[in-house]
Amino acid sequence: MQQTSEPTHRLRARTFTCMGTVISLTVPTDAHKPPQAAADELEAATAVVERLFTELDSVFSLYRPDSEASRLVRGELALPAASAEMRARYEEAAEWRLLTEGAFTPERPDGGLDLSGIVKGHAIREAGTSLLALGMANWCLNAGGDVLVSGSPSPGTDVPWWAGIVDPADRRTLLAGFPLGGGFSAPSFAPAGLAPLSGKTADGGTRVALATSGSAERGDHIWSATAGAVEFLQVSVAAADVVTADVLATAIVAGGVSMLNRATVMWDIEALAVRANGELLATGGFRR
Amino acid sequence: MNTQLSPSPGTGEPTRPDHRPAPVRETGRFDGQHRRRLLRADALTVAAWSSLAASIALWLADGGLATTASPAGLVTALGIVAGLAGMDLVLLMLLLAARIPFIDGAVGHDRALEFHRKLGKPSLYLLLAHGLLIAVGYGMAEGLDPVSEAVALWVLVPDMWLAFISLALFIAVVVTSLVAVRQRFPYEFWYVVHLLTYAAVLTSLPHQFSVGGLFAVGTWQRWYWLAICIATGAALLYYRIIQPLRATFRHQLTVERVTSVAPGVVNIEMSGLQLGLLAGNGGRFFIWRFLAPGLWWHPHPFSLSAEPVRTGPDGHGRLRITVRDLGRGSAQLLRLRRGTKVAVEGPYGLFSSAARSKDRVVMIGAGIGITPLRALLETTPFAPGQATVLLRGHSNRELYLGEEILELCRQRGATLFHLTGGRDPGSPNSWLPAAEHRAGYALADYVPAIAFADVYVCGPSRWSGNVLNAARAAGVHEDQLHHERFDW
Amino acid sequence: MRIRAAVSAALASAGILLVGWQSGVHVADTRSAAAAAATGNQASGTGTTDSSGTASSGSSGSGGSAAGSSGSTGTAGAAGAAGAAAKAGGTYDGEVVQTRFGTVQVQIIVKSGQITDVTALKLTDAEGRSMQISNYAAPILRDEVLQAQSANVQTVGGATVTSDAYLTSLQAALDAANL
Repeated sequence: MQQTSEPTHRLRARTFTCMGTVISLTVPTDAHKPPQAAADELEAATAVVERLFTELDSVFSLYRPDSEASRLVRGELALPAASAEMRARYEEAAEWRLLTEGAFTPERPDGGLDLSGIVKGHAIREAGTSLLALGMANWCLNAGGDVLVSGSPSPGTDVPWWAGIVDPADRRTLLAGFPLGGGFSAPSFAPAGLAPLSGKTADGGTRVALATSGSAERGDHIWSATAGAVEFLQVSVAAADVVTADVLATAIVAGGVSMLNRATVMWDIEALAVRANGELLATGGFRR
Repeated sequence: MNTQLSPSPGTGEPTRPDHRPAPVRETGRFDGQHRRRLLRADALTVAAWSSLAASIALWLADGGLATTASPAGLVTALGIVAGLAGMDLVLLMLLLAARIPFIDGAVGHDRALEFHRKLGKPSLYLLLAHGLLIAVGYGMAEGLDPVSEAVALWVLVPDMWLAFISLALFIAVVVTSLVAVRQRFPYEFWYVVHLLTYAAVLTSLPHQFSVGGLFAVGTWQRWYWLAICIATGAALLYYRIIQPLRATFRHQLTVERVTSVAPGVVNIEMSGLQLGLLAGNGGRFFIWRFLAPGLWWHPHPFSLSAEPVRTGPDGHGRLRITVRDLGRGSAQLLRLRRGTKVAVEGPYGLFSSAARSKDRVVMIGAGIGITPLRALLETTPFAPGQATVLLRGHSNRELYLGEEILELCRQRGATLFHLTGGRDPGSPNSWLPAAEHRAGYALADYVPAIAFADVYVCGPSRWSGNVLNAARAAGVHEDQLHHERFDW
Repeated sequence: MRIRAAVSAALASAGILLVGWQSGVHVADTRSAAAAAATGNQASGTGTTDSSGTASSGSSGSGGSAAGSSGSTGTAGAAGAAGAAAKAGGTYDGEVVQTRFGTVQVQIIVKSGQITDVTALKLTDAEGRSMQISNYAAPILRDEVLQAQSANVQTVGGATVTSDAYLTSLQAALDAANL
């Protein structure tokens, strides 16, 4: 459903529920397009994204007893016999496990396989590719708190999207904000799986993805790698691709300060971490 | 039957040679040469140990000791030091096998190879320790078990996979070189595997310069390590490949004539150019490759059995080697065809006048070992009466080149003994024929002043060992003993 | 002659090792223990010093963690002292730590008690070049982070919430305004 936008209200959004959370797609109104065409375009885009998420959910959701992931966990299916999609995501998750030295891992403590940590990021990544393929250059996709953007909320300018980060202690207030996109038109999607280990991109403005993980999170896929109390309540990572941001945010929550330091060195990211006592650790990009 | 040729000919029956009191002082003609050679040998020893110390010192200079404060740091530091020392030993081994003239002239090629073999196991142990301790040390620092750490190193750190391959190659090379293993495989197999050493060293190089920071760009340690690696590679390239190629093309050796001197023994005469450059090397050996099908890949170490003879104005001439069928490719040499080209490397070895330290000289040879002595006899300096030659064989027929040696002794005034006959079966340590041994003769009976002589021994290894022991028992110092091994 | 060789070799080796050791000590002396300032913050913050040794609180080879590891090597006491010294300001060089990424030594710049820059002095990348890291996640006060109000953001990031929690979330409010 959409309403006719008012001239000053330049953003439109559509939402749907999937993977147990809500996905929002926000696009700026194109002044040059007739409203009906713009609405159709948004409708079509949302449908594409929704289908993408639904398909992935049907394969990977552990809350559906008939999903391939559930069958895998129950032992009815062996990994080598699983679908190409399943094996590809497993391979990607395994590579991340190696890179994060175990802080991010698809294996649950009970030995079962839970790829939800990588699937959501993958879904957002795929959705972003589809949106670009549809010819949409300016949008903001938020899937349960993980954000991927393209372009600018004011098309034709280099004004970035602004993503707020909730305060884990009070989810009605914002702890900080971070600029995404803007400046450079297209997001750079890193090749599936890996960001470069070395070689920094010196510019700080091409982050298009912001992912946040928290120990208060619904997701079951964070197994704390450090014995004892969790060090971070919440970690937000801004990066050039959403899977990197998502995985590293998860890994840092699980791995603590050591993983935070390793991540900031090995990957070109910005990070904001909230300690259990409320103190903040942040890289330079979060500084005013 | 024994014959002896001395200034006063004997009666034909075995007689005890008369004892003459040994002179108290020698003129010391070779003193200077000997001193200089020993100085060079000592300098090499010092250089070798210094290089080992330097490889550790450059880690110390990098502040390495400061990292040993913690258990993980200590283990890692030990691993790094083991790697540095191991690589240094490997470079030393390569240099020892490179046939560098300075080393050859100071200690001799066979002693150089002896050190080379001795360093094999220690260097491998150090490299294994290096790999293990690094995996454990880094693992301790990161909370990983050594196996996971090793996997992480392989996967994550550039060039480490090459380092793993290098270690595997080193293990293969050293294991196949163990005597016990080597004897079970044909020589060619062992040789090919040994060549993998080059691959092992090359694959180990990248990670040394890229991992760990000790040899990072800008450090003086990097320059030093680069320098010694490049110098070793250059030495190998020059002395093992370029020099032999140059010698081969310079001399253009071609087989002229193959004549039989005894059953299973032939003289191979070759013509060539600029043979004057090969003169004066009596006793030293060359490595010959006869470029005929089936023969070209067998390297043969043989000495010249006579000085090169010049027949033309530009050094064109002939040279000769005397070869016996010892199996393993030698048999085919008996059937060499005229016109076969020959590739030559050398001369190598310290079995020459360069090793002289005394005015007197004694040459003791058996079987085909007589050959290098024949060449030495022709060129090595001595005054009449100051040289003794002892030839050993089962029968007169086995005293190869006997006529030539007799003539040379007559011309130069050397004392010659022929010792023929079988060994006394009950005395495995005797080098004399049975009759002489039972009669109680010893080395000093033939050469009373042997303690003041250079003693050159060449023959089958067990017999040679007996001769050397007898010489030592007669008071000859190690420096005066010169032994050419044919079985390396 | 062998004795001469043995003695000369021993003397030469000892001399070389001595020179190396002395240069190493001199290098270590120029470093200040106050480099553990970053460690001080970390160590006091986490309250744990990992039991394993160097690069431990980093548990890795990263430059940032090297600062941490130098502190944990020096025990928490040093961290406290370092923290005090760090309040003053200046440039501090941390200890040199061996990691599989190379030797790492961290230099931190402190202004008015705040770490404003962390640089790895000796970190080598794949080509053996020294790398700079300046992306250390340092402690920061709430009023020093980039600020945001719900009025000027277009989207809200946070840990995943259930569909029910969404209904009362800021994101829902934004979406409602844009629908």
